Amino acid sequence: MEPPRPPAPPPPPAPHHDTRGFVRRYIFSTDHKVIGIQYIVTGLLMAIVGAALASLIRLQLGFPDQQWPLLSKLLPAGYQGGVMLPEFYLAVVTMHGTIMVFFFISYVLVSGFGNYLVPLQVGANDMAFPFLNMLSYWIAFLSAAVLIFSFFVTGGAAAAGWTAYPPLSALAAAVPGSQMGQTLWLLSMALFIASFTMSGLNIVATVLSVRAPGLSMMRLPLTVWSYFVSSILGLLAFPPLTAAAVMLLLDRHFGTSFFLPSGLIVANKLVPATGGSPLLWQHLFWFLGHPEVYVLQLPALGIACDIMPAFTRKPVFGYRASVYCLMAVGCLSMIVWGHHMFVSGMSPFSGEYFSLATMTITVPMTIFGVNMLASLWGAKLDLKSPMLFVCGVIALFGSGGLGGLFLGNATADMQLHDTYFVVGHFHMMIGGVTLLSTFAAIYFWFPKMFGRSMNETLAKAHFWLTFAPFFTIFFMQHFLGLQGAPRRYYAFTAYDYLRHTRGQNLVISLAAFLLVSSQFLFLINFVWSLVKGKVAASNPWRATTLEWTLPSPPPHGNFGTAPVVERWAYEYGVPAPEGDFATQTVPSAAVPVTA
Amino acid sequence: MNARALLVETPTVRDDQLKLGLWMFLATVTMLFAAFTSAYVVRRSGSDWHPVALPSILWINSGVLGVSSIAVEFAHARGARGRWKASAIAILTALVLGVAFLGGQLLAWRQMAAAGVYLPTNPHSAFFFMMTGAHAVHVVAALVVLAWGAVVTVRAAREPRGWAARMGLCRTFWHYLGAMWVFLFALVSLY
Repeated sequence: MEPPRPPAPPPPPAPHHDTRGFVRRYIFSTDHKVIGIQYIVTGLLMAIVGAALASLIRLQLGFPDQQWPLLSKLLPAGYQGGVMLPEFYLAVVTMHGTIMVFFFISYVLVSGFGNYLVPLQVGANDMAFPFLNMLSYWIAFLSAAVLIFSFFVTGGAAAAGWTAYPPLSALAAAVPGSQMGQTLWLLSMALFIASFTMSGLNIVATVLSVRAPGLSMMRLPLTVWSYFVSSILGLLAFPPLTAAAVMLLLDRHFGTSFFLPSGLIVANKLVPATGGSPLLWQHLFWFLGHPEVYVLQLPALGIACDIMPAFTRKPVFGYRASVYCLMAVGCLSMIVWGHHMFVSGMSPFSGEYFSLATMTITVPMTIFGVNMLASLWGAKLDLKSPMLFVCGVIALFGSGGLGGLFLGNATADMQLHDTYFVVGHFHMMIGGVTLLSTFAAIYFWFPKMFGRSMNETLAKAHFWLTFAPFFTIFFMQHFLGLQGAPRRYYAFTAYDYLRHTRGQNLVISLAAFLLVSSQFLFLINFVWSLVKGKVAASNPWRATTLEWTLPSPPPHGNFGTAPVVERWAYEYGVPAPEGDFATQTVPSAAVPVTA
Repeated sequence: MNARALLVETPTVRDDQLKLGLWMFLATVTMLFAAFTSAYVVRRSGSDWHPVALPSILWINSGVLGVSSIAVEFAHARGARGRWKASAIAILTALVLGVAFLGGQLLAWRQMAAAGVYLPTNPHSAFFFMMTGAHAVHVVAALVVLAWGAVVTVRAAREPRGWAARMGLCRTFWHYLGAMWVFLFALVSLY
């Protein structure tokens, strides 16, 4: 006997203008588009704080003997007599890293664009769990608020680095920032992970359960694939840091000794802890930390791949290979964390394993990179601002990735560990690739989000004034590292062997100020375009993915009736009534389906 | 709707989403406890590791949790035959036993404290309090889901559609935490 058929589902709501009040529409909204924009705006505000902190770092390193009376007045706890305090420098470095990794890139690129794009690109009316989505944003907001609040508590913000290695992070007496600031840092991280888990769970469920008819997994845009893989990574890799944070909080406040070794003397006092292992924290942290790199980077690469065809007017090269590479990178990223710990005294055999695993992960990453390059091959490039930023992504991915080959090799890493070579490498990879991809995404999808276009001249100026100083800063830092300059040092003036690097640091600082200043071009363009920007058509870039079939901005409820997908996301270079492309919903009878 | 039809009822998209969401959530919980476990294994090699005596009430608590899982299964079996009253009584029993398990765990903590064993006494006790605490937090969440399942079961006499899928979520979550407890209890007792 056939099982009874379930009752016909109620008809989907037609897209419409959201008639709910202001608070439900824009503050506690469950609409994925509003939540995405909330994440993006929150992340951009956090980026301003992160950039200000970067400026303080470069002011110190570029002009180590200079006095800054004005800063003494503005930041009396951090500057005395116009000179930055070393403890304050550590807090600034810690908070810059934390904010940029977790509260800027994660919020804007992963949660912000993930929220905005995934339902639209899979043809859904919203996320699978809209209420959970709203909850996720507000917990993320709380997490950011707790972190900012930590600047104002006794001892100031956390100062143990964004990696929060114990014992520095475990003992209040170790450094002023390890008082209440570190506790709030851990609380903020726990909230961040809770929020990120909810967001990731939503993205995976949305991709698997509410794709439009005809949209098979192998027809998904690479953007959606990259969010899918990075969300799974986040779900599996983040909980161990929650466990580690709980243990560190217990060590800090309840007298346990998970991470505190015996015989530790801090501030001339013997710490009454026994037998703990600081390395245990490192393992747990990097079990999160390395996948986190890919959680940020994969969406950056996926977005770049989806923006490119609109300006090359041809499909991406090697779509299937790129999808398999994303999967391979996702799996391999879970087993390479030890390459951050080559100098921790690990067994040479373990070191050899982690070196080999790291070299292995470069294979799918390289294939992905080559596919991106091949996507440019033979194309007549239309170098509009999103495409310029995508070219920047490819340049930084190649250059930064090359440095990774040295750091992934245990023998070379012994020499380069904790030097500016590492700082240069990771800024290019999880700083630059993600930053430029974020800008590419903003310039590309701004017309869809707000129904207006950004000013192209300002955008192009913004690109060159971002890319040139960014590359200068972090390319030069590789060479500082090769000369032995250690990271996290407050000043290099006391070391004879580093005195000659002063000029290099000055150039880097000047480039950094140029980089930060040029972001005002972006902010001005963003705000001005919101109000006065040229009204955008529904598909100004003549792109093919589903969001471009909707009006700009898309209505509340997106599609209403799910669109029927007829083809893959890269139908470019085909003869079609609209031009040389076909959106994913164009019937196969009108334009032949190529994939 | 007859009982057999209820069991073979095709889940709706919403049911599938909830099931998927629950399994993904459980994957994150598994990773959390995997991290605690790996830390336990590493920390155990420290020279200051001295196993503490665990209170025997933990065996009773384990039994209570086991019976609670059986009660959930009973609720499912009764409901599938359309015996809603028996099903509701069974799931409410499971709920009460779940609360009793939490009470028993609290009692175990108090007994350890009375014996002079606290969180920072040594690494073994620290792991015991931390992991049982983390497990208890998840049990509280699962009790909320069980309470929702009880409400659905009580209402099922009027509207049985969708009951099987919802009961499936309750069973998965509750049995998962039961299995997790067996693992944690074995870990802290035997290793």
